[in-house]
Amino acid sequence: MDYEKLVFRSGIEIHQQVDGKKLFCSCPTINSQKEPDIRVERKLRTTASELGKIDAAAQYEAGKNLKFIYEANSEDCCLVEYDEEPPHAVNPNALRTALTVALLLNARIVDEIRFMRKIVIDGSNTSGFQRTALIATDGFIETSKGKVLIPTICLEEEAAQKVEAGKDFIRYRLDRLGIPLIEIGTDASIKDPEHAKEVAAYLGMVLRSVGVKRGLGTIRQDLNVSIKGHPRVEIKGFQELKSIPRTIENEVKRQVSEAGKATEPHVRKAEPDFTTSYLRPMPGADRMYPETDVLPIKPDASSITIPKLLTERAEEMKGLGISSELSLQLVKSNKLVFFESLSSEFKHLEPEIIAQTIIVTPKEVKKRFKSEEPSEDHIRLALKALDKGEISKDALVEVLAALASGKEADLKKYAKLSEKELDNQIKEIIKENKGLPLNALIGKAMERLRGRADGQLIVSIIKKLYK
Amino acid sequence: MSTSPGDRVRISRQGDIIEGILLPNPEDEAYLVVKLDNGYNIGIEAAKVEVKLLTKTPERPHPEEAARQTKGLPSIAILHTGGTIASQVDYETGGVTPRFTPQDILNKFPELRELANIDSWLISAMWSEDMRFEHYKIMAREVKRCVDKGYSGVVITHGTDTMAYSAAALSFILEDVPIPVILVGAQRSSDRGSTDAAMNLICAFEFITKTDFCGVAICMHQSMADDTCIILPPCKTRKMHSSRRDAFKPINQKPIARIHYGSRKIEFLSDYAKRGSARKLMLKDKFEEKVGLLKAHPNMSPQEFGFYKGYKALVIEAYALGHVPIDAPNDAALPNLENAKALAELIASGCAVVITSQCIYGRVHSHVYSKGIELKKMGAIYADDLLTETAFIKLAWLFGNYGREDAIKLITQNLRGEFNPRLLPEEF
Repeated sequence: MDYEKLVFRSGIEIHQQVDGKKLFCSCPTINSQKEPDIRVERKLRTTASELGKIDAAAQYEAGKNLKFIYEANSEDCCLVEYDEEPPHAVNPNALRTALTVALLLNARIVDEIRFMRKIVIDGSNTSGFQRTALIATDGFIETSKGKVLIPTICLEEEAAQKVEAGKDFIRYRLDRLGIPLIEIGTDASIKDPEHAKEVAAYLGMVLRSVGVKRGLGTIRQDLNVSIKGHPRVEIKGFQELKSIPRTIENEVKRQVSEAGKATEPHVRKAEPDFTTSYLRPMPGADRMYPETDVLPIKPDASSITIPKLLTERAEEMKGLGISSELSLQLVKSNKLVFFESLSSEFKHLEPEIIAQTIIVTPKEVKKRFKSEEPSEDHIRLALKALDKGEISKDALVEVLAALASGKEADLKKYAKLSEKELDNQIKEIIKENKGLPLNALIGKAMERLRGRADGQLIVSIIKKLYK
Repeated sequence: MSTSPGDRVRISRQGDIIEGILLPNPEDEAYLVVKLDNGYNIGIEAAKVEVKLLTKTPERPHPEEAARQTKGLPSIAILHTGGTIASQVDYETGGVTPRFTPQDILNKFPELRELANIDSWLISAMWSEDMRFEHYKIMAREVKRCVDKGYSGVVITHGTDTMAYSAAALSFILEDVPIPVILVGAQRSSDRGSTDAAMNLICAFEFITKTDFCGVAICMHQSMADDTCIILPPCKTRKMHSSRRDAFKPINQKPIARIHYGSRKIEFLSDYAKRGSARKLMLKDKFEEKVGLLKAHPNMSPQEFGFYKGYKALVIEAYALGHVPIDAPNDAALPNLENAKALAELIASGCAVVITSQCIYGRVHSHVYSKGIELKKMGAIYADDLLTETAFIKLAWLFGNYGREDAIKLITQNLRGEFNPRLLPEEF
């Protein structure tokens, strides 16, 4: 498809959760999985915005006259989430994280941050609105297809999670409600579906560079797409980055097929089969009024040290002699801090070995021994033994497997043999297995000595002694 | 041309252009607040920018709907006094102010018109913490006007801070009121989707139109959920939480009734006064200004008691069963003896001292411990299970409308259900 000819226009909105405490109360952002211990039923009503109009999206939701059931465990929800207590002052750590992201995106932080109430009456906010503030404007990123502008960066509260929708009710869990959310919006200068994926991936990398909440559902991408003669459509609910290009391709095809028809801008849902389905009308700009319970904030970004991007960190890792693939895996994981602490603790170990043990070995242990992945403590213990020369490199997997299975691992069992001991052991093996061909002999020796000496060394000794 | 709030402006800042609608920001003139086209407000340091007017603010249409009358429906008057129930964001101050017009409320809650023919007028637009005795009189006189005009009931929208005080005051003033007078408030302002105002108002309307209750009461949420409202006794209700919807609880008493919002079913939970033509409203609307309230606390000083010399009456919210620090069991407690002296002098000077309990629940008792016996001997009046707030209102009302001797005699008499002789386990 010729996207230029179609006058393809697309922009991305990214929502990223921030870990720690919630934005306007002291509840932890732990997504409690415990059984709900409080359950409350509510109704919501439409409200006029400060300019006296009722927003179209708000009206649509009100028309449904639904009952909302809110459930939560007290572990991570207090009266604030129940809309039974005014918001506390904004969480300073979340604000700092958002400002850091703004700086990484070359954006201009506003002189004064003013929280707004964005009217949301689908019930996903107990208050009937989402607290949100514009914290920075006029950012940009460089991409393979030119600059993409970031006109707005917002800090807002996450909405509640829908658990069940019935004919006349919607049930929500409140654990997610109030988790700080950074919203990044680009302009419509994305050139084509692949470019959209690139921009989304880059923004995701920037967010991870700052240290945000990780795991399923902690980042969401919404895409705006239009072509000449078709109004803007917002697509929500991409499950993964790689579904972006195909979904956009299909959406563009759909828009082409609607050519000439009168269509309104609206919101669609990304389906698993890469198509989209109608969700609701496009909300307008009227749906916000000031959050008077939260004082305006004059942000101070002067004390923020801008962290290095993960891509820059990966380059640094390569400089340490770590392969580029492993470098990338390491920086994308959330183990970078762990890696750094181990590197400074164990001076005798190659960074590559440490990175391997953190990133690759746990998976190998799990696969080979059908056990749990070893914990960070296990890894530290094993690498300490390796650092001191108490075990050999080849013993790492077995040592970690033993530790992960909960055994009190007897490191002596895996102690490295001295060359003399090794020599003697191999002589013994050769004596016991007279007449065996070389390869079979190597197999026998490896079986018995695995983990207690380097494999290559074993092989070279056998070759030397084999006559 | 100068700009004013509401105008569309273009702001130039070091080569940047920002367009939007100018909003007032009286608390901090160093910052301009602008509503951007994406709906967000931001503050911009005023010193750094140039502001150019693009278009003046357009006139805002104010929706007015002519009062509709439906045959066969009862008529209810809504008297507005302000509070959260009638509040919205104020762009002059940036805060939430109680400034809805009565018409705004009717437009906001159109369901009310299906339950009754409504007349609605403004008594005041104020936060209830600013209310004084004078406001009780104004409210009571308006209620009398409604009774005279033949309304089936009156709803008073009220700020919740002092709603329980007002309810007690109105119940004392409005002797033998023949119709229901229901005070309704909200803990979430009416301009938000999650407001409790609508349900509280609708339940009050249901209660007025579907029952034969008469007298003063409060109607608020029973729980955090939008499922039931309760009708609360005017002299035995207290705001027990600063922000929850179900802040209002009956104290030493059950609610009068419960209204199920979904089914609109009404259950009575206590005995109540019924409407009847025999009732003739009598207004007793005077209040004595010289009535005080003092809370017992550790390390009290005699000056605190002495302050009330010249007052007609003082409520002391004492500890537990009704104890005040007036004894010196050891040297460190010696200053308490000065308290005893000051309190004895206060009573001797003619101030009626009434003892209530800061436990809130339960009664005071003057002779379980020696402290009570001592206080009673001094002449303190033990007010049984009377709520402190109701005691304060009752004293001001008694000393306003009766001579001293009668007033003192009436303190411990049950005039409006302010005492409950039978406290039951489930009431705490």
